[in-house]
Amino acid sequence: MVSPIFIIAASLGGAFLLGLLRDPWRRASYTISLLVLAFTTALAGAWVWGLASGAVQAVDILTAGTQPPFAVNLRLGIAEAAMVLLINLTGLLSALYLRDTLFIQGRRAMAVLLIFSMALSGIVMTRDLFNLFVFFELAVISTGGLILLSRDPRALAAGFKYLVASQVVSILMLVGIIFAYHATGSLNLDDMAAASEQLLKGGALAFFLIFIAVVAELKLFPANGWALDIYESAHPAFSALVSAAAGSAALVAVDKLLTIGGPAWMEVASIIGIVSFVGANLFALAQNVDRRLLGYSSVAQIGLIVFVAGQQDILGDSYLFVAGGVLLAHAVGKAGLFWLSGLIGGRELTAWSALQGNPLLIFAFASFLALLIGLPPFPGFYAKWELVHLIAAEGRLLLLSLLLFGALVEAGYLFRWFGYTIKRDRHPEPVAPSLYKHGVIGIAVLAGWSLAYLWGELSPHANLLHAAPMLFALMFLAIEWAPARLKNAVAIAGLLAWFATTYSAYDPLQLIFALIVLAGGAVILLASFQTPGRRLGFYPSAMLMFAGLAMLILAEDSFTFFAAWESLTIGSYFLILRGRQSEPHALSYLVFSLGGAFLILTGFALAAQGNSQFALAGLGELVQPLAPWVFLLLAIGFMTKTAAIGLHIWLPGAHAEAETDVSPMVSGILLKAGLFGLFMLLIHMGRQEFYGLDLTHAMMWIGALSALLGNLMAVFQEDAKRLLAYSSIGQMGYALFGLAMMNHLGWLMALMFVINHYIYKSMLFLSVGGVAKRTGTRAMYQMGGLITLMPLSFIAVLIGIIAMSGVPPLSGFGGRWILYNAIMTSEYRLPMILVFLSGPIAFLYLFRLIHSIFLGQLKDEHRLIKEAPFWLVLPQMIYVVCLLGFALVPGLALRHVDAYISNFLPQGALNWEGLTITSDFGYWSPVSIMLIVGVIFSLVFALLLLVNRKAQKVKQFNIVFSAERPYRPETTHYAWNFYASYRKALGFLEWPLFERFWGAIVDLLHTAADLSRRFYTGNGQVYAIHLLAFVVVVYLLKGGV
Amino acid sequence: MAMIAMATGFVLILIGLFGALSNRNILRMIVAFAVANTGVNLVLVAVGYMDGRTAPILNEAVPVAEATTRIIDPVPQALVLTAIVIGVGVTALMLAYAYKLFKTKGTLDISQYTDLKW
Amino acid sequence: MQFEWIMIPYSLLTLFIVVNYGMLLTALMQKIGARVGRRHGIPIWQNYFDLIKNFGIRSSITHGTMFYLGPVFRLTGGIGLLLFVPTIYASEMFSNLSFAGDLILALYFVFFGTLGMALGAAESGHPHATIGISRGLSQVTTAELPFALAVFAVALQYQTLSITDIVAAQQGGITNWTAFTNPFAVAAAMLSFLGSMMRPPFDVVLAPQEIPIGPPTEYHSSYMALMQTNRAIMPIAKIVLYMNLFFGGAASWPVFCLKVFLIYLFSVFVGVVFPRFQVEQSVRWFLIWAVPLGILAILVV
Repeated sequence: MVSPIFIIAASLGGAFLLGLLRDPWRRASYTISLLVLAFTTALAGAWVWGLASGAVQAVDILTAGTQPPFAVNLRLGIAEAAMVLLINLTGLLSALYLRDTLFIQGRRAMAVLLIFSMALSGIVMTRDLFNLFVFFELAVISTGGLILLSRDPRALAAGFKYLVASQVVSILMLVGIIFAYHATGSLNLDDMAAASEQLLKGGALAFFLIFIAVVAELKLFPANGWALDIYESAHPAFSALVSAAAGSAALVAVDKLLTIGGPAWMEVASIIGIVSFVGANLFALAQNVDRRLLGYSSVAQIGLIVFVAGQQDILGDSYLFVAGGVLLAHAVGKAGLFWLSGLIGGRELTAWSALQGNPLLIFAFASFLALLIGLPPFPGFYAKWELVHLIAAEGRLLLLSLLLFGALVEAGYLFRWFGYTIKRDRHPEPVAPSLYKHGVIGIAVLAGWSLAYLWGELSPHANLLHAAPMLFALMFLAIEWAPARLKNAVAIAGLLAWFATTYSAYDPLQLIFALIVLAGGAVILLASFQTPGRRLGFYPSAMLMFAGLAMLILAEDSFTFFAAWESLTIGSYFLILRGRQSEPHALSYLVFSLGGAFLILTGFALAAQGNSQFALAGLGELVQPLAPWVFLLLAIGFMTKTAAIGLHIWLPGAHAEAETDVSPMVSGILLKAGLFGLFMLLIHMGRQEFYGLDLTHAMMWIGALSALLGNLMAVFQEDAKRLLAYSSIGQMGYALFGLAMMNHLGWLMALMFVINHYIYKSMLFLSVGGVAKRTGTRAMYQMGGLITLMPLSFIAVLIGIIAMSGVPPLSGFGGRWILYNAIMTSEYRLPMILVFLSGPIAFLYLFRLIHSIFLGQLKDEHRLIKEAPFWLVLPQMIYVVCLLGFALVPGLALRHVDAYISNFLPQGALNWEGLTITSDFGYWSPVSIMLIVGVIFSLVFALLLLVNRKAQKVKQFNIVFSAERPYRPETTHYAWNFYASYRKALGFLEWPLFERFWGAIVDLLHTAADLSRRFYTGNGQVYAIHLLAFVVVVYLLKGGV
Repeated sequence: MAMIAMATGFVLILIGLFGALSNRNILRMIVAFAVANTGVNLVLVAVGYMDGRTAPILNEAVPVAEATTRIIDPVPQALVLTAIVIGVGVTALMLAYAYKLFKTKGTLDISQYTDLKW
Repeated sequence: MQFEWIMIPYSLLTLFIVVNYGMLLTALMQKIGARVGRRHGIPIWQNYFDLIKNFGIRSSITHGTMFYLGPVFRLTGGIGLLLFVPTIYASEMFSNLSFAGDLILALYFVFFGTLGMALGAAESGHPHATIGISRGLSQVTTAELPFALAVFAVALQYQTLSITDIVAAQQGGITNWTAFTNPFAVAAAMLSFLGSMMRPPFDVVLAPQEIPIGPPTEYHSSYMALMQTNRAIMPIAKIVLYMNLFFGGAASWPVFCLKVFLIYLFSVFVGVVFPRFQVEQSVRWFLIWAVPLGILAILVV
């Protein structure tokens, strides 16, 4: 194979050749540059391929015909080859991207670009310390040149600041190098590594200087003011290069130094890295300029990789997998984002709304964000999984929590940005149409997904891109051009087909959840037939969520479980974001969900003790003192999804603002994911004592409080969908309460709530959605009297509220009956008070819901509206039938589960013989109740008909009202602030304690970020002082070396 | 002798850094960095210097066989040469920047160039 | 227990007795209330006259389907509640249809009529009706709480949810009654009872002087007749529940009549003495005075 030295030689030669050309030969110059970069890329690619397939071995390149240390030598192993490929490919793509700019700037700029990529490749390959310095300086000089590509006049000052800082860096480095040489007698890195002990003893300061200089080249927080200015003002293609290529090169340099520095310096690297990761992410929170934000994010990501490099002592064999995963994901994602930013006219984050109407670019944007954050199926996800497991196993919990905190903040501001892009008014300046630029971005997207596949293959786990549900979801990306109704049919067929193929794999508990998710999802999707057009973005998101749910149910090991969990979170986020006003709510949903997911991740990692493949059943084998911690982390994570009180504030907005057919999905189905997790957790782990506190007891209180406060807050809502959303908090509270009782019937009740809540909440969301569609408002007091106009919706709501309130003869009563039987054997009685109180409160909001919408006075503007569209009504009617059926024969679904629960909690099973269901304490005969009530009702009704068959329907205002006839429905419809007196009595309970609490935390973070970023004054000298101070501080913290 | 050179080198580095950080004028900063660079170069040479030896030139005066005991270490000197070249390059680039900066705002005061911050 | 056809005539008999007793009893209570206020009060047969009159009225209008069905729901609720609970202890004849469900069914079936009635009244579009419902629902949330706690305590005490078994456990002398074995539960339940009887101080739902009569405002003629029938049945059905749970049930009709009368009288007694609470006052009152008793009851059981 061609020697890698030609990577350097070709670039140098190309640059010289460009110098010989005449200025006006722009096209020729550009062609030469591209050819050179293509050649180096291809060469690097060939080496990567060869090294990876084992066709060739890692190679040492000697120069000057002499062995090292007497001459410079280079080395190319698989890691180096991959980095060189990354650098040159980024260079090539940036050159393509820069086509127009380079044509204007001419051959000199092209030469500098070639030198830049050459210098970076050199940094990666060289094994000589001084040579490293030379390549660094070459990179500095070419950076100085390339900054001038930007049309932004501020770039000039940024470049100068950069040069000032790099002067300081080079002074440190040179002094360090010469003394290191003095101490070891060699400039060769391998010799130095061999003489590491001697160097670290005698020449510790020298090593420190070199190390800190290279770290400074990485532009780590907080000594990086100049770098942020460059990111902000340079040409985006160059910023992409700096972030992806230069960052990677410098990282390789740090890695080389760490092989010399050993564990002591790895610790330093870890600390610097994590500080950079958290600090830069925090500062980014306050950013409103896209490229500066990307700059902060780059700093953070590079900090993360330095952190990974610092953890290589525990990463062992997976070091390259982890570091490579994070690094490549960062490089592709960040380069892609910088390239994207070149298409956007405005610089504020909201200007990215120009992407609207470009589904491909939005897909690219989302892919890049997912790459950065490390969402499945991208490499960062696999890397994060391994990293967290190994850190947790080592007990470095502080580092772990900082890591996850930083990642959460990063996800927060990146997805906030995504929200702006999707939801804000479209920016007037359209996306630049350049074919080259779009092509480059396309290649980046392709690279990102290829890496996702590659990392899936490399990982010890199953490749997520091989999972059938995931592929099915991704397939919808390919058929986005098709009409929505066709896609909808495909989606429904897919859900049902998956259910049919996996049917035999479920145990009864899983079967219930699978029915709800897959069959239930198919029913809700019927409502989606309503939407015409192509409905871009809906199906991939929805199917991603369903894929996650489907995989979650069948997951047997923690990795699959967690991957499924994150997939469903992301899918549902995109889904929720589609709602008209849902931008802030979707974000809050995502942040809470990811926060919960990180807790779950930590829990699994702690449980696995370093073994990244961990069967869920293994949770049961954990012992004190680890077990309660794992339990706690997992439980809080799952309770975030069920919106337990305190962690609930995302739910009302997210569910209420979602689209009509999305609300039932996220409420009726998605919430069950949390319950499924809790089931899984309790089945495997049972009760756990946490410093003497029975954790299930605490969960009982949380469940009861959620039930009470969820219901109470629902009472005071004016918005019908918010009302239903709050009610979900209460319903999930009941289910949580049932689970936490840890007795047979408690679990059965929770399951009953799972089924019931799916049916009636989906139904109610669809009815209310249909009404809102027709009336154009969700405020209930603006409706009224719709019963005659929308009778089917009314029937659905009526059945729904009867079922939900637990009034016999419908199925809600079954839940209440099981609840009473369950609490008879519960150990704890006090939480029951809250549950008892919350029961009747449900009547309040349910009555309000049906009255304010369907009864009372019809408004003039609604006199002509029609029943909700057919496709919205159809699933509602299916639900009505289901509810009645489930009310009559609950045993159909429940008796198998009842038997299954007996495997874990044998005491207290129900007896399902005959028509009557009996427990240890009481009995209940659903069919008899239904018949008796039906017969009495019919008889009384017949009597009334007999005596009153000629009743005449009178007009709306024909009521006795203080001897007057009202004529304005607005003033006669008693609906607004319906429970004013109740608010007077108990309104203090809806004081937004938790909103304030989380709001205060977010405000605190933002204010802190906004205040402390002023530390970057913009003055180049101040930045140099930062740099020196950074050196001194690290020196002192290292304990004077 | 070497100690004096080295001490001078460090003093020059410090003077240079101090100058670069305390002068707002861009040209003065560049000069100060040049001073610091000189200091670095001096330190480099001083590290390689060994008392009582001669220049690392292999000719009649220093036969190859005795080279290891008679000449000073040539590597630092080679490094200094490279460092000087690089230093010149960077200084030239900085001067070019200074020129262009002056053209944009008509001032050489670095504290005036803080459009990008935070 | 299984369904047998003979249960139907037996249940109808219970219903017949209770309706008549209820008509007379409510009139009697009205009269007692009036006498306390130094008024003469209505004749004891007044309810029969009203019923006949209301059935006889020919003019009839409706505001819609739910409005029409409201009284049907209401009466079904009353009859159902009565029939789901055994009226006379140890009597096959008067165990009614209690095979269908236990105590919990009775507890929740109370709401069947309430809900249906509320829906019907709301469709009339009359603001007074809706205001009454809003008040009633608000009040019921905390008024029911002590009762629920008491029921829980009783169920825990006897380790069963079957009403028949609970009554059986109280046989053998007055000291076996829950009222003596578990006084906190009974105290809580009796305070809750006040809240469910639509009498002062908790009658803000109907509040004659404010929102004429609240929910039933628009109801008249045969609708009214159905509701009136229910008004005779409902208090008795509720009281039967209290009697069975707390006061040893009744083994014969005379005992039944006496106990029902006395329990009813308790609410009248309180009603004539105290003025009316506003909703928020009664909500707080139950929380402060009745709920702690209930909590005590479930803790000491």
